[in-house]
Amino acid sequence: MRLRRIAVNRVVAGLSLLAIGLFWTLHFGSVQPNRIVPGTAVGAWEGLGAKASLATTAVLLVLLGMALLNFRGRHGWLSGVLTGALAAVPLLLHVFITRHLDHTNAYARIGVGPGVWALLFLLGLMLSETLRQLPRARIGRLLAVAGILCGWAYGASQYDLHALSLVQEYRVRPEQFVTALRHHLMLSLGAVLISLVVAIGLALLVMRRSSWQRPVFGVVSFLQTIPSLALFGLLIAPLSLLSSTFPWLQELGIRGIGWAPAMIALVAYSLLPMLRNTFVALTSVADELLEAGAGMGMSPRQMLLQVRLPLAMPVIIEGVRVTTIQAIGLTAVAALVGAGGFGTFIFQGLGQAAMDLVLLGALPTIVLALFADALFTVMGKLLSPAGDVGVAGMSQ
Amino acid sequence: MKLWLPPFLWLTALLAITTGLPLMEPVFAAWGKPALVYPRESLLLLLKNHLALVLLSGLLAAAVSIAAGIAVTRPWGRDFLPLASRVASIGQTFPPVAVLALAVPAIGFGDGPTLVALFLFGLLPILRNTLAGLDGIDRTITQAATAMGMSPGQVLLRVELPLARRVILAGVRTAVTINIATAAIGSTIGARTLGDPIVAGLVNGNTAYVLQGAVLVGLLALTVESLFEALERQASRSTPCAASA
Repeated sequence: MRLRRIAVNRVVAGLSLLAIGLFWTLHFGSVQPNRIVPGTAVGAWEGLGAKASLATTAVLLVLLGMALLNFRGRHGWLSGVLTGALAAVPLLLHVFITRHLDHTNAYARIGVGPGVWALLFLLGLMLSETLRQLPRARIGRLLAVAGILCGWAYGASQYDLHALSLVQEYRVRPEQFVTALRHHLMLSLGAVLISLVVAIGLALLVMRRSSWQRPVFGVVSFLQTIPSLALFGLLIAPLSLLSSTFPWLQELGIRGIGWAPAMIALVAYSLLPMLRNTFVALTSVADELLEAGAGMGMSPRQMLLQVRLPLAMPVIIEGVRVTTIQAIGLTAVAALVGAGGFGTFIFQGLGQAAMDLVLLGALPTIVLALFADALFTVMGKLLSPAGDVGVAGMSQ
Repeated sequence: MKLWLPPFLWLTALLAITTGLPLMEPVFAAWGKPALVYPRESLLLLLKNHLALVLLSGLLAAAVSIAAGIAVTRPWGRDFLPLASRVASIGQTFPPVAVLALAVPAIGFGDGPTLVALFLFGLLPILRNTLAGLDGIDRTITQAATAMGMSPGQVLLRVELPLARRVILAGVRTAVTINIATAAIGSTIGARTLGDPIVAGLVNGNTAYVLQGAVLVGLLALTVESLFEALERQASRSTPCAASA
């Protein structure tokens, strides 16, 4: 342990300097006359005007100053300022839109530029750094997230952000968006559920017969090696053969393309992380605990359900987390074999060179993955047995 | 010698199919199925390009992230350690396809954006494992090395890096495996890789193209994977048993 008190928070100082640099050099947004024509990129000074761009710089300079000075409760104040700054980003977009949108052109739209993304990313990193140093980090994190979401909700309700190209792409196809969301969730969560059940079964099997361990893990890691696009492709031929020989399969929707090859491939990919974590979790319960259970006269079934599973839960949940994130990403690829989901927008957009449509597919995929990450991290913490006696945490 | 047999066999199969398929075209034609082989580019060129993208991005990513991993585990860079491990773990939740897709509005179509996306995506697993490897070394070992009169540079090169080597190598392996798969998807943004026949086949409903591409990408992945397997075995043979991870 180092006892030296760090006077300067070099991380926040460095990041805020970087943020100032990127804010002034990257394009803040772009103005497009319609959907396909590439937009004219506009920098911060021209895009936001003197007042807003100087105000943003001033906030970043305040952050820099607070990072350099050492005073009581500094990280609390820094977290507050950062939360406010993040919550105010829609205001900056509003300023940009009112200055640049051509109201006479119904197709005109405003694209969000790299400057905005960089600002969001760096402010987020700084916030996570300062929240980490707070005495009550968990409460701070909740407050910060709530504050930012409130700010954005207020911004969405008060300002006219319809001109943003992303919003326009959404407004053309709200039903399609909901369908894509539903398909995406059904495919990835379905694959995760199936693979969880299969993995628990396989783990129990392998625990009983240790000679099966090598072949089972061998097959499962072999599957993981095959690139996703290849596996989707390889499934097409046998599945279309199957469905043409057995017409009743077609009625179930099992064809060479569609959800069937996607689901099979997703389950195949999900098996390795799921099985690895489940197996490690179930087998590394401390011997004393098992002996204590046996001494209390528990049957093998009771030992499994009342000792092993509860203790293994956090590591199994960690496996579910890794698997879900992976499945959400792979489902996007599955759109290439016609399985639906957000990948449809990505590949349609790439085909039409409509970048906003690509964003409409890519951003929700990322948000879903981040949300799954947060959800299962919290769930793993809530489900860990008190006293930390069980399984040593195992990361991927 | 037995160690290197699997990668050799996979490689032989990969090269045999890549070069052999076009030569089989007259046979297919005689059989009554002309134009069965993907015609737009030679498969060998696609294989070379695919491999070049993966290797170049992998090398760059390894260089940058190992350097970053070393920097944030030195005394002068330790302030940045939580930030680096946070970025590495958040970054890994980003789906590769999304990163690939986002590279297009930022840079454009073609090999270049694919390379950038592969590089960015390769950084995270390598950085994460470098941090785990270097940070997981028992402090008493490095202290012992310092007490023996080693300079910080010597401690890094002769104690820390050899001990962390296996974990770092595992990170490089993860990155390369992901990147072989992502490079195949890169053909949807205009990179010329073995994904081309697959995507073209999917678009035109030509299962023969899909199958060629899929088999070749699969074989490429298996070749590289078994190569890493052999390397890891080799490394674990020659590593002192004090390796901690």
